[in-house]
Amino acid sequence: MTTVASTFTFLTKRRGGLLTVIGLICVLAIFGIVMSDKFGTASNASNILEQATPLALVSLGQTLVIITGGIDLSVGSLVSLASVLLSGITAGDPTMMYVALITIMLVGIFVGLINAGASLYLGVHPLIVTLGTGAILQGVTLLYTQTPIGKMPKGFDELAYGRVLGLPIGAVFTIAAFVLTAVFMRKVPLGRYIYATGDDALGAQLMGLPRTKVLFFAYGFCGLMASVAAIFLVARLGAGQPYTGQNFTLTSITPVVVGGTLLSGGRGGVMGTLMGVYLVSLLNNLLNFMSLSTHYQLIIQGLIVIIAVSVYVENKKRV
Amino acid sequence: MTQSAQSQAQQPSRMLDVARSYGIHLVLLALIVVTAMLSPAFVTGNNISNMLLQAAPLGIVVIGQVLVILVRGLDLSVASVMATAAVVATTFSGQDSDALPVFLVAMAIGLATGLLNGLLITKRNVSPFLATLATMTLLQGMRFAYTQGAPSGNVPPIYRVLGSQTFYGVPYNLMILIVLATVFSVLLHKTTYGRRVYLTGGNPAMARLVGIHSDRITIASYVISGGLAALAGLIYSGFVGIVDNWVGRGFELDSIVAAVMGGVALSGGRGSIIGGLFGAAILVVVFNAVLMIGFPIEFQIIIKGFVIIVAAAFYVRKTI
Repeated sequence: MTTVASTFTFLTKRRGGLLTVIGLICVLAIFGIVMSDKFGTASNASNILEQATPLALVSLGQTLVIITGGIDLSVGSLVSLASVLLSGITAGDPTMMYVALITIMLVGIFVGLINAGASLYLGVHPLIVTLGTGAILQGVTLLYTQTPIGKMPKGFDELAYGRVLGLPIGAVFTIAAFVLTAVFMRKVPLGRYIYATGDDALGAQLMGLPRTKVLFFAYGFCGLMASVAAIFLVARLGAGQPYTGQNFTLTSITPVVVGGTLLSGGRGGVMGTLMGVYLVSLLNNLLNFMSLSTHYQLIIQGLIVIIAVSVYVENKKRV
Repeated sequence: MTQSAQSQAQQPSRMLDVARSYGIHLVLLALIVVTAMLSPAFVTGNNISNMLLQAAPLGIVVIGQVLVILVRGLDLSVASVMATAAVVATTFSGQDSDALPVFLVAMAIGLATGLLNGLLITKRNVSPFLATLATMTLLQGMRFAYTQGAPSGNVPPIYRVLGSQTFYGVPYNLMILIVLATVFSVLLHKTTYGRRVYLTGGNPAMARLVGIHSDRITIASYVISGGLAALAGLIYSGFVGIVDNWVGRGFELDSIVAAVMGGVALSGGRGSIIGGLFGAAILVVVFNAVLMIGFPIEFQIIIKGFVIIVAAAFYVRKTI
C-alpha cells in the first residue's frame, strides 16, 4: 500500500500529474474510436469541444480563486442569474442585447468583488461567504423568474454553432482565454502574487505583496468568467433558465482538482484545468455513446474526484 | 500598560463575548415574539408542533455536523446519505416486518460513507470539503442508477409514525432528537472521548504530542455524522411520506448554517451540540415566519444566505 502510494506521489510530482491526465485523455479517445466508428469523427470532436465551453470558462475562474487558497461556491447561482438576466433584458431586441451583455458582465464582477470583500473584511472563510452569496443569488434569480425567460435575437446561436477555422467559436475562445491567463499567471507580477498569496498568505503579506488586490482580482475574474460562460450557455439553449447553472458550482471544481491544482492553494495552473475539462467532457461524451444514462456520469465523476485527490496528496493545511 | 488601560481595552471584547454566549437565545426569543405579533397563526399549537416535526430531522443531522466541525471538518455528504436512506426505506415490502432490515441497510450505507470520508481525510490528507463532495456525488449517482431516476414504493408505517405523529402533542422524532442530543452532549462534555474531540480540533499539534490518536477521533466524527444522517433520512422519509431522489435536499447547507449560527467555530475545537440545535431552531422559525408573514418562498433562500455570512462574521476571532 505504501509503495503504491509513494509511486503515485513520485509519478504525479510536478508535471507528472498533467501528463497523467493527457495520457488518460488519449486512452479514452482510443477506447472510443475502437468502440464506435462515429466517435472518432471530426463532428463529434468539435461537439465535445463545443460542449466543454461553459464548464471550461467557469473552471478557469475557479482555478484562480483556488490558487489563492479560497473557493467560489457562488458560481453556479451566478451562471443562472446571468443567463436569465441576459435573455430577460434582451427579450429578442438586438440593441438591448448589448446592454444585457454589459450588465451581466458587470454583475459577475460585482458579485466577485463582494465575495472577496466579505472574506477579507469580515474575516469569514470564502467557503462560507460564497455559500451565502450563492444562496442569495439563487433566491434573487427565482424572484426574477421561475421559468425560462426572454429570447435572444436571430443569429445569437452562431456563438454556439458557428465555426472559426473549422473549430467551434466557443472552443477557440476557450483556448485563447486559457492561454492568455496562463501567460498572465507566469509573466505578470499580479499573476505571481496570486501564487504567492495562496502558498503562504502570511509570508506574502510580510513581503508587502498586495493581498487585497490579489483577492479582489481573483474573485472578480471568477465572477466575470461565470457571466461569460452564461453567454455561451444561453447561445446554445436559446433562453436563460433559473436552474441552468446549478450544477456548475461543484462540477467546476472537478476539472481544477483533476488538473492538479491543490485546494490548499499556491500550486497548480490553468492548463491543467483545461485538460481536466477535456477529460470530463470526453468521458461524458463516451458514456453517451455507450448509451449509459447520466446517472453513471455522476458515479464516475465522484470516482474521478476521489482518485484525483488521493493521487495528488495535499501536504499542506486543509481547507 | 497600566492595569486600568488594560481592562478598558478588554471591556468591549468582554461585552462581545457575552453577546456571543447568549446572543443566539435572545435572537431566537426576539424572532418568536416578532413573528407572533405579525402573524397570530404562528403561535397556534398546530403550527408549533408542525415546526417541531420539521426541526427534528434537521437537529439530528446537526448533531453529526457539529461533531465533524469540532474536528475542523465539514460534511457535505449528509443530504445525499439522507436521500439514499429514504430510498432504502421504500426498497423492501413497505411493511413493518421490514423495518429492521431497512434500518440496518440504511445505517450501513451511512456509516460506510462516513468511514470513507474519514479515511480520505485522515489517511490521504484530502480536504474535508472535497472528500465529502466526492462521496456526495458518488452516492447520488449510485442512488440515481439504482432507482433509474424514479423511486417508488412505500415507507414502512412505523417510520411514518416516527416521522409525522405526535404523542400528546410531542412529536416522536423530537423525542429521538432529545435522546440523541443528550447522549452525544454527555459524551462530549463528560468523557475523555469528548475532551479528545475538542483537543483534536482545537490544537492538533498538542493533541498529537499528548498521544491522542487524532485520526481515529476524526474518523469517528465522520462515521457518527454519516450514521445520524441515515437515521434522519429514514425519519424524514416518514415525514414527507413519498420518496423522491432529493429527500433532505439542502440539509447539508442548513446543518452547517445551524452549527455556525450556534457558535460552532469552523476553525475547530469550539462550540457545542446545544448551540447547534439552537441554530437549527432559529432556521426553522425563520423559514416558518417567512411563510406565515406571507413573503414569497424565495426569501427563505435569500435570508439563509445572509444569515450564514452574518453569523460567521459575528463569531469570527482574529487569529493574527
